[in-house]
Amino acid sequence: MTQALEGFLQALSAGLLIGAVYGLMCVGLGLIFGVMRVINFAQGDFMMLGMYAAFYFFTALGVQATFGNTFGPFVAILLAGPVLAVFGYFVHLTLISRVSGTRTSSLEGEGHYAQLILTLGIALILQNGGLLVFGSVLASIRTPLSSSAWELGPLFYDVSVFINKARGIDAVVSLVTMLLLTLMITRSRIGKSLRAAADNPTAATYMGIDVDRAHRIAFALGTGITAIAGGLLATNYPFHPFVGVEYVIVMYAGVVLGGMGSIVGAFWGGMTIGLVQQMSTLILPTQLQNAAIFVVFLLIIFFRPQGFFGRMVERT
Amino acid sequence: MLRIEGLTAGYSAIPVLNGVSIKVEEGQFVAIVGPNGAGKTTLFKTISGIVRPSAGTITFGDHDLLAIRPAQRAHLGIAHVPEGRQVFPSLTVMENLEMGAMTEAGQRDWKRNIERIFEWLPILAERRGQFAGTLSGGQQQMLAIGRGLAGSPKLLMLDEPSMGLAPTIADFIFERLIEIRRQSNLTILLVEQRVAEALESADHGYVLEAGRVALEGNNQTLRADDRIRKAYLGM
Repeated sequence: MTQALEGFLQALSAGLLIGAVYGLMCVGLGLIFGVMRVINFAQGDFMMLGMYAAFYFFTALGVQATFGNTFGPFVAILLAGPVLAVFGYFVHLTLISRVSGTRTSSLEGEGHYAQLILTLGIALILQNGGLLVFGSVLASIRTPLSSSAWELGPLFYDVSVFINKARGIDAVVSLVTMLLLTLMITRSRIGKSLRAAADNPTAATYMGIDVDRAHRIAFALGTGITAIAGGLLATNYPFHPFVGVEYVIVMYAGVVLGGMGSIVGAFWGGMTIGLVQQMSTLILPTQLQNAAIFVVFLLIIFFRPQGFFGRMVERT
Repeated sequence: MLRIEGLTAGYSAIPVLNGVSIKVEEGQFVAIVGPNGAGKTTLFKTISGIVRPSAGTITFGDHDLLAIRPAQRAHLGIAHVPEGRQVFPSLTVMENLEMGAMTEAGQRDWKRNIERIFEWLPILAERRGQFAGTLSGGQQQMLAIGRGLAGSPKLLMLDEPSMGLAPTIADFIFERLIEIRRQSNLTILLVEQRVAEALESADHGYVLEAGRVALEGNNQTLRADDRIRKAYLGM
């Protein structure tokens, strides 16, 4: 009995920790979709770049030497965020802005076809380019914390829960990033203008808001945030140039679960996926944990098609 | 202040506006009336830069407006209160007003403007924390007007503020507009289907029919005109 309880609590805590990072990962995509209405298939590959950026910051660019093995990876991950944000900024400036925003608002389908093809193309280039540049060997950003744990408890009787230290810090970094982003979106002038541009791009233009610039900021922010989430995942999971494909599906599931267009929703969507993935191992073989995600996903969408935070009404 | 000459504009190849010329002097209240589909909203969208004209010029003050990017036009002092209100539904009333104040002048005068807006449209003060999407149509229209005023505009463009509103609420909106204008001396360009009210409150009017200016004149001439009396005023 206590063993089953311990297993349950262990899976729950693992789910919450990984869920926090998945949540952040989904928020990056959700922000881009919410503000721009662009479906970005390359988001998983942006995350892959974020992982490699953190990896090279750590190993080759002196972060390891300066900050040490234990906390160096987290410094490298936080540096990868802004670098990928700049990358996202230029991807939008040179490519995405040609098929989105005010330029396409009068086109049929608002440029969605071109957006799908363009972002798929970017994804393919990044994956295969990554293979050329980074090679196919698995990389990882491990810290000694990845293989040590805090013991919580004994909570009652002799039940205690072990928290992997790296995952614990990953979750805290995720939550802090999410908190800062939420504050920025809800309180700052730029954040409010992003929401206005998402609500009604034409009216936002009447207010003097440069909608294409707002999109560029959202795209850069979304890319940087997903990159940070990627780096955090890389402290526990090895990665390779095609790793984005594995995660982009989780990202979309999370964003749809949370309700398309809701940033807070995207976070809870990602959290749900993390929880389901970890808890499912209690009753299912580990190989089926991704299948479990999509069974739960389909069930939720069946009963609540608009997602947790979505609105049924069409935007005007 | 605003000078439109020979403006031709439309969607795809079909022109909605055909050589329209309109003038608004500083401090004037100008109304543009006309039936549905006459091109009134297209005219406003062209001034705001959402629709690109194929011919003609628009000057605002000393600026050639067509050479200025759409998002920059608000910063020159043009406030566009669009057709169908178009408030930002997921932003609060206060945040909507802040969006109206994105211009430099709006930032500078924020305190004074918000005080006056709340005085003119007290319902906005009452609902300041509420999401704009949950307001009634009349309240949304007041918010759209308040949002336009929040930027300290030189020219306030109102596109059918009475659209979709109950007559008593539309009357109230007109009454407020006249009061706001009396106190602020703002230059107003109004597009309206409620011809009687529009011509009554304006100094000068244009009748737009099928993309052309069919008639123009000051308040008295237009209201005395036989064609207008028959076609629009039902007399």
